[in-house]
Amino acid sequence: MIDLREQPAASGALAHDTEQRKRAAATATADDAVRLEALTKDFGSLRAVDHLDLTIRRGETVALLGPNGAGKTTTIAMLLGLLAPTSGTASVLGMPPTQAIQSGRVGAMLQEGSLMPGVRVGELLDYVLSLRSSPLRRAQLIATAGLTGLERRRIDRLSGGQTQRVRFALAIASAPELLVLDEPTAAMDVEARHDFWANMHTYASTGHTVLFATHYLEEAEAFASRVVIIAHGRVVADGSVAQLKRAFGGQTVRFRSAECQPPALERLAEVRAVEQDGDLVTLKTSDADATVRAVIASGIGWHDLEVRSASLDDVFMTLVDGSGDAGSRDNGGNR
Amino acid sequence: MIGYLRLELMRGLRDPRYLVLALVAPVGFYLLFTNLFGAAQGAGANGLPAPVGAMVSMAMFGAMWAVLSATSPRIAQERSIGWLRQLRLLPVRAQSVLTARLLAAVVLAGPALVLVFVTAVIDHGVTLDAWRWVVLLALLWLGAAPIALLGIALGYATDADSAFTITYGLNLVLAALGGLWMPISVLPTGLQTIGKLLPSYQAANLGWHVVGGQAVEPSNVLALVAWAAVLSLLALFFAGRVARGR
Repeated sequence: MIDLREQPAASGALAHDTEQRKRAAATATADDAVRLEALTKDFGSLRAVDHLDLTIRRGETVALLGPNGAGKTTTIAMLLGLLAPTSGTASVLGMPPTQAIQSGRVGAMLQEGSLMPGVRVGELLDYVLSLRSSPLRRAQLIATAGLTGLERRRIDRLSGGQTQRVRFALAIASAPELLVLDEPTAAMDVEARHDFWANMHTYASTGHTVLFATHYLEEAEAFASRVVIIAHGRVVADGSVAQLKRAFGGQTVRFRSAECQPPALERLAEVRAVEQDGDLVTLKTSDADATVRAVIASGIGWHDLEVRSASLDDVFMTLVDGSGDAGSRDNGGNR
Repeated sequence: MIGYLRLELMRGLRDPRYLVLALVAPVGFYLLFTNLFGAAQGAGANGLPAPVGAMVSMAMFGAMWAVLSATSPRIAQERSIGWLRQLRLLPVRAQSVLTARLLAAVVLAGPALVLVFVTAVIDHGVTLDAWRWVVLLALLWLGAAPIALLGIALGYATDADSAFTITYGLNLVLAALGGLWMPISVLPTGLQTIGKLLPSYQAANLGWHVVGGQAVEPSNVLALVAWAAVLSLLALFFAGRVARGR
């Protein structure tokens, strides 16, 4: 696993991993919203989740990113107590998952799942509000979930987006400290997604912990304070969006110049690769500031200089494409 | 649990399968039997006059479908659409949901029983002592409880596609072999022996004794208790199997 949350960089990935575990074990679990240790799930001969370690502290907004089949949904199902792990442990708010759910301190919204047919939206909300003496009032819940005017509508007569909003209302009805969302916007149109994240943002800003799985990178970029990338059932990268971009995406410096040659450019500070297309020069760099200074100092003629950061998309592609190798290198000793 | 019971009742009262097949159909069959065939046959079940014997039979028939429609097809549907999974993410215990469901099913049997009684009184002037009405209602109502457990077991044992068909088919078999459609004495001996073991017959027989002015047979009560015990185990087995994800 590549953990970017703390400097300095590890001298050896395996040593770093062990050290990190020791450190994690020493800290108080009461501050952890989620704690997954060597979590593993096999479906027959297929290993969906493979010794996954993840600790989420209270108040964090964490995005779980990964391609289809990476193990996001299986991981979430285990941390919610819907699925028993083959080995390893999951604890939520310092408790076993099912106990945390029963306490009303965890709310969750799964990728799919219809609601109880035949009842009205208002009736269902009244029911969930009655389960744990929720601090939320009915009107507040209806407003937060965007269900105004739909209370008398039958559940089975709602549109897909409306159903999703009711599902969100069920997840937040007990005002949970931890909210877990698995691909919450997968069935939504652009406008509904926008509204949904606006609601979520309000919720997270009041000190709640939010963990969401998504395959929309822009959602992770816009709403998560921390991004955890999963591939082949393991964590392959973990850090803020800025940290991930710096570490994996690098930056590009681009300018127009008629006179310079690639071999000279490659020797400039921090340059990793050079592309030239006519007079357009693109330098891939791990430190754009240093490279720009070097370009200026070199005395070559340039104009239209432009510095661009890698997108999370670039980071994702880099990591997920090479993840099989990264996984065996980092965690090979744990098998 | 009360909250979930309320939801289940709301839903039942809006469910056309319940309204038509458990409330309207038994009343219709009662009118049909007693005005067309019953009059000609002269006698109903257990030597009772047709309007009285058929009242018990059709009330039980309606009650059976009331409890079955509120359990089996709904559970199978909720499993397939993922509502039961969603429930596991709410701070509510699976046992209290199951209890609420059982209670809701039994409560929904009440209107089915009363509607047939009222029809018998209006159409044929059936009269009983007040206490006999009360005992009759109570015995048939309790007699529907083991059938509700059967419905729960079926809901977990079948799937959304087959639940309705299998359950309605079983409902008809329980009614026909249990002597609700015609006196059990007209069945071949082999089928009579099977029919007399069924909970539908056991419950209806309690009712026929009450309306006929006879003492109830304790064996019927014992048999219903035994059915309830066996069917609860079956319901728990199938529900547990689903919960374990198999």
